Amino acid sequence: MYKYDDFDRTFVADRAQQFRDQVGRRLAGDLTEEQFKPLRLQNGLYLQLHAYMLRVAIPYGVLSSRQLRQLALIARKWDRGFGHFTTRQNIQFNWIKLDDAPDILDALASVDMHAIQTSGNCVRNVTADPYAGVANDEIEDPRIWAEVLRQWSTIHPEFTFLPRKFKIAITGAAEDRAAILFHDIGLKLVSGAKGAIGFRVFVGGGQGRTPYIAQELASFIPRNELLSYLEAIMRVYNMHGRRDNIYKARIKILVNALGIDEFRRQVESHWGELDKASINLPVAELSRITAQFSQGPLPKRENSDDAIKARRLRDRNFDRWFRTNVRPHRVTGYSTVNISFKKPGKIPGDATAEQMEVVAELAERFSFEEIRVTYQQNLALPSVAIADLMSVYDGLVVAQLETANTELITDIIACPGLDFCNLANARSIGIAQEIAQLFADPSIAEEIGPLRLNISGCINACGHHHVGNIGILGVDKKGTEHYQITLGGSPKDDAAIGEIVGPSFPAEQVPSAIRAIVATYLSQRISPSETFVVAYGRIGKDPFRSALYDAPKLSHTIDSALEVTHV
Amino acid sequence: MPSVITANLLRSGAVAYLAADGRWVSTLCDAVVADDAVSFNTLKAAAQAAVESSEITAVYAFDVHVVDHVPQPISVREAIRAATATAA
Ligand code: SF4
Repeated sequence: MYKYDDFDRTFVADRAQQFRDQVGRRLAGDLTEEQFKPLRLQNGLYLQLHAYMLRVAIPYGVLSSRQLRQLALIARKWDRGFGHFTTRQNIQFNWIKLDDAPDILDALASVDMHAIQTSGNCVRNVTADPYAGVANDEIEDPRIWAEVLRQWSTIHPEFTFLPRKFKIAITGAAEDRAAILFHDIGLKLVSGAKGAIGFRVFVGGGQGRTPYIAQELASFIPRNELLSYLEAIMRVYNMHGRRDNIYKARIKILVNALGIDEFRRQVESHWGELDKASINLPVAELSRITAQFSQGPLPKRENSDDAIKARRLRDRNFDRWFRTNVRPHRVTGYSTVNISFKKPGKIPGDATAEQMEVVAELAERFSFEEIRVTYQQNLALPSVAIADLMSVYDGLVVAQLETANTELITDIIACPGLDFCNLANARSIGIAQEIAQLFADPSIAEEIGPLRLNISGCINACGHHHVGNIGILGVDKKGTEHYQITLGGSPKDDAAIGEIVGPSFPAEQVPSAIRAIVATYLSQRISPSETFVVAYGRIGKDPFRSALYDAPKLSHTIDSALEVTHV
Repeated sequence: MPSVITANLLRSGAVAYLAADGRWVSTLCDAVVADDAVSFNTLKAAAQAAVESSEITAVYAFDVHVVDHVPQPISVREAIRAATATAA
């Protein structure tokens, strides 16, 4: 993991001190809310429905045990005993008092954490493949470059007042697990000629009111030229991005207004004029950062374990968890463990202080003190020896974190919605809980197979509903909460924006609508290996439409769904 | 439409409603209801004073129904604010 040096530490501690002073002046009445608001937002502090919310940055989703314990302490001491992992691999605390915020920032700074640039029109937390550095399909560890980008973009004077917020995602793997095509800039490490490694650069993706899939801007930018190339992109955006209309201010609008070819021409023209040598990362600095991520060879461990085989035979729950939540590691004898914060009936992404402490301890004992936050609002232990999997599982059971549903229908991504968020139209959490309860039997969820279900409480799309295989969007229909359903979205390499299936449903009808959609899929799929999104691509939305909006058929379909799923 | 003035307390961020005695209370049932322009303007002035004295922030008015002298929120948003989060 990257370790702060004295420069980083002093910087973060100074910022916390500055904020203490600003809060003091606000409480004393020396700053008006208008003056104070941008200052608190620069430190991740929002005012939500019931309280202040503090969004803490977790750079590229990487946490140490010590840091996770500190987050647990913050949850217990200054919140109501829990935190909420977000779709940007961050954590939010929903019940913060302004008085306490300076102490919390100090507590964060003491473990090399902060809330800087988790809000505002700046470059936000860079997100990455949650399995970075341990995936078996990786060309190079993207954390190195995510860290480079973090340092480059943090209080970069040119990027402090962008037209709008700016999100970058990076992956070094063959499979896109970072939704790079739905970011302002998506970066993919690729091999070029003669073994050179560089970046394929995508630009102009995003969700929100106007969703776009990013387009390729460059097929190969050498690694050592990345920063100047990105700086050229940011310049074009900073100069021409629209500041007159918040809904048209993201880079995706500019890219699509200019067209990708003209946008590329402008970027290249700026790039040609930049003093690249003064911007690109010096080799020594890259080596310094790279060294911080190199773990050295992991201790040799056995690749198979008789005790695990025996446990799988006698313990169905462990066996299912092993199948769904454990994934291969680049090193023989190791695996990566997904820890689900999606137990049906619970709030997606919420973690209690006790659960955080359990995970911190398991990471300490079994995963080299490292934890990952996934954008699916779960955690992962990146490097667990196969021989330790039973101990990890048993530890997770104690904290009710053994839910076996990674990438299944109950692994629902949901934003806080109208229960907490000031911008919401409708609640997300209650809908997520009800849907998850419908499919709570893990054998049913597994039978349905991989299925992304995403819920956002408004068109800002923090719950990524546009890219859900099934997406649910909360809308306000004459003062009541309604939900619009989209189908066929995907955040992965087969990137797609979901299509609206028909008129919205009132809250109470959403669970049965989802059941009808799933039933239609089950009855139409060629075989269990044809996933929901593949089947949707083949059959389109008509069968789903008729299942949803043709009443007699609706009840019939639901009945047959239950028959099918109980096979 | 009768309305109630609400805000968040500056220090805690907690939901607050303006009461008849000028205090900011946490329960909607204790809020004072403005049912004409004159009473609304008086309450608005009191709220503005509380903003200036750094007691509250994010102040606004919302519509209510009054049932047995008790204000009831009309929008889901205000019902949730009045009840604190419905999620558990
Ligand atoms: S999608 Fe809307 S309701 Fe949900 S967290 Fe984002 S802004 Fe709030």
